[in-house]
Amino acid sequence: MKFLYKDLLNFLSEKPSKKLLSEKLFQLGHEHEIAGDIFDMELTPNRGDCLSLNGLARDLNVFFGKVQPYKIYEGDILPLNFNFKNLSTDACPKISFLEIEIEGAIAAYKPYLENYFSLLGNKKVNFFTDVSNYISYELGQPTHCFDSSTMNNQLTFENKICQESFKTLLGSNINLDGKNCIFSVDDKIISLAGVMGGKSTACSSQTRKVLIECAYFKPEEIIGKSIKYNLVSDAAHKFERGVDIQAHEKVLRRFVAIVQDHAVIKNFKIQTFDDAAIDQSRIPFDLERVNKILGIDIEKEKYLMILNKLGIEINNNEVNVPSYRHDISSQNDLAEEIARVLGYDSIKSKPLDIKNNLNENIKHIYKFKNFLVQNGFSEVINFPFTSSKDKKSITIDNPLDSNKRYLRTSLKSSLLENLQYNERRQNDSIKLFEISDLYSKDDQTNQERKLGIIISGRRGHNYADFSKKLDFNYLNQILNEGLENDIFTIEEISRADLKTKKKDKIFYTEVLIENIPADMYKDYKPIEEKINFIKYQPVSEFPSSVRDFSFSIVDFDKYNIVIDLISSLDDDILKHAYVFDFYENKKLKEIKVGVRLIFQSVLCTLSEEEIQKTLHRLLKPILDLEGVSVPGL
Amino acid sequence: MSSFNDIKPPKLSPQLGAIHPINQVKDFLIDLLQGYGFTAVDGPEIESEEFNFDMLNIKKTHPARQMHDTFYVNNKSKVLRTHTSPVQIRSMLDSNPPLAITSAGKVYRKDDDATHLPMFHQVEGMYIDEQVTFSQLKDLIHKIIYAIFGQEIQIRFRPSYFPFTEPSAEVDILSENGKWLEVLGCGIINPVVLENCNIDSNKYSGLAFGLGVERIAMLKYGVNDIREFYKSNLDFLSQFK
Repeated sequence: MKFLYKDLLNFLSEKPSKKLLSEKLFQLGHEHEIAGDIFDMELTPNRGDCLSLNGLARDLNVFFGKVQPYKIYEGDILPLNFNFKNLSTDACPKISFLEIEIEGAIAAYKPYLENYFSLLGNKKVNFFTDVSNYISYELGQPTHCFDSSTMNNQLTFENKICQESFKTLLGSNINLDGKNCIFSVDDKIISLAGVMGGKSTACSSQTRKVLIECAYFKPEEIIGKSIKYNLVSDAAHKFERGVDIQAHEKVLRRFVAIVQDHAVIKNFKIQTFDDAAIDQSRIPFDLERVNKILGIDIEKEKYLMILNKLGIEINNNEVNVPSYRHDISSQNDLAEEIARVLGYDSIKSKPLDIKNNLNENIKHIYKFKNFLVQNGFSEVINFPFTSSKDKKSITIDNPLDSNKRYLRTSLKSSLLENLQYNERRQNDSIKLFEISDLYSKDDQTNQERKLGIIISGRRGHNYADFSKKLDFNYLNQILNEGLENDIFTIEEISRADLKTKKKDKIFYTEVLIENIPADMYKDYKPIEEKINFIKYQPVSEFPSSVRDFSFSIVDFDKYNIVIDLISSLDDDILKHAYVFDFYENKKLKEIKVGVRLIFQSVLCTLSEEEIQKTLHRLLKPILDLEGVSVPGL
Repeated sequence: MSSFNDIKPPKLSPQLGAIHPINQVKDFLIDLLQGYGFTAVDGPEIESEEFNFDMLNIKKTHPARQMHDTFYVNNKSKVLRTHTSPVQIRSMLDSNPPLAITSAGKVYRKDDDATHLPMFHQVEGMYIDEQVTFSQLKDLIHKIIYAIFGQEIQIRFRPSYFPFTEPSAEVDILSENGKWLEVLGCGIINPVVLENCNIDSNKYSGLAFGLGVERIAMLKYGVNDIREFYKSNLDFLSQFK
């Protein structure tokens, strides 16, 4: 909901600055953003009563006082004898109709009405619809205008199962299905009640006689309809959150007054169909309980004053909740009202000493995870949605992606996808694991927590591992350090069905967590040692370039200097540098050190010139050493 | 001059992997809360509507229960839990107050964009005893926020709405660029929820709070796009060693 700062000021006795108004709205729980003179509100769904200038002013009354800046028609109104039948009074317990006929042309809009369109960016439709929209902004009650000339027979309201097409006043065709609140004439649907009217009875610039419908629809009958039919509807937004069932007469009298401001009225009549047994919400007066909930000691006078300013009265030791406050029904709700007005930040903290009956904490396999990490494995987390179905798969009734409508029953395909993703990103040593609950069904829903491990590529980048491959023996040896041999089975995954040119073998295993030995469920570290909140560096989406060099060292005094220089190589575009080969040629009295440099930029694909320039700068201190060379460079 | 015998091969620096950053933050929060006296408990990700919604005072008509917000499974007989709060319900049904539990895990909502994912992680806490108050809740929340963001951080409590707490609050921290950022939701447990779990709301009251793990991780690590956490990119993951 958007409103003009000046429009809301008209409803307040005091005229707070934008900054102060913003502070108090936040204090009351009304989130918003401000752009120029426009406040864009993001109200919580329980505060439908604040979706109007009048509603916000009611809430702000406690700080700035509230006034009624608008006029309503105060005189007598003739009764309307309207042919209406309500077949679903449960869904619509109260509905009123105002019929107005005007003559002549519509005068230019008064500033209050014109500003609603020109300054707030709302689109004009026709005079009566414009007034209806403005009143919703001002008072929070949606109304709908039917062109009376199109309404010759009985109007019927019903909450019923429909299966027919309906053309909205915006011209879109929707296919109604399921239960809907509808208005019909001669069994033909003319309006999707509480959401949007129909094209066949819509007003136009030529309309001179109009039937204005003002209703209370039960929120539960309207919720979800606008999303279901993909309709943007301010009316539905308000009805879903609950409007004031007592506001009809005031709203329709305001409608008359606005029309009077712009046209000559020939006649107007009103009729209300009230099938609601109004049951005002009452809560026992219990200040002690409210103080206990909040942990404060507010005095009775202040408590009464705050409630009074919020429009909540106390009678016969009972708190009477106004008809527009659907969110108040308990002492906790009243406590929240007090806290909002005092300000949550003003309520002092009091120490909490937690007593607890439960002592058993769930066991985490931190130790085993750390063991894997020490061996170069990285943990991944995957979504559980998959296209693969097996006979125990659980089906998602409403998937985000219809191609992935099953819950995975194994971690294998996810980890295989992760492996291939990293291979495509030129990663040549991949060791991944994931721990997750997996779900399946037979007679009942089954839950298993499993560990999946996948490996492929080089064992590592050190010269000791560089030329060795990750294989069955490697994984078997690693797992045997921590697990019993009989709880895991290692399989080789064939690359035959994978779209990849890679040749490295892939090995995978999956282990039930409950089979992991108890001594792997230990090793908590103190919190301060457990996490290092580094500042993440964005990952490059551009390809990397690899350069290998073999340094020949014949002056052994330079050996340590070379190794130190290699380990301190640093540049913005140098992603990795490591010694992948080391060889002592005793016959030639020469040491060979193979170094791999990987270059990558987060900004662009690197040119050969950029790489060469950086290489020259990085390698010069090494190559300047006597007795150190790179043959062939 | 050095000889061959003086040469030592280059040191073999270990090639470490990394615990996923989301799990690092999740474990950090759970350890923190256990330190305050909360017991860590677990619950299933496939839940009944009764535990995920009804018992938590989320009415049948609440928008969150619509098909466009919640994943339903097995012919609408169950849901993928939309929050970790059903674990609170299970704990209340299983144990008598005083009761202090924390729960962490995956939750699911039908979202998918730069700031929302269909799966994310929550950490929750709940404490029920005689005379638990909003002012005590504030004390606990301050401790949690200070532990995560440091003692100097500025905190703001705002009224909010959750069906299972009343009063409810959202807690913001002031970022370096002067903007308030929401980091946590909390409140006094709605007496309706206590009664749903056979706890006498005249005798007992409770507090509850919940944090989005991804939200905390994004703020602490400076990650702007939540999707980065789930690409399983080793270049990304290896930064969190």
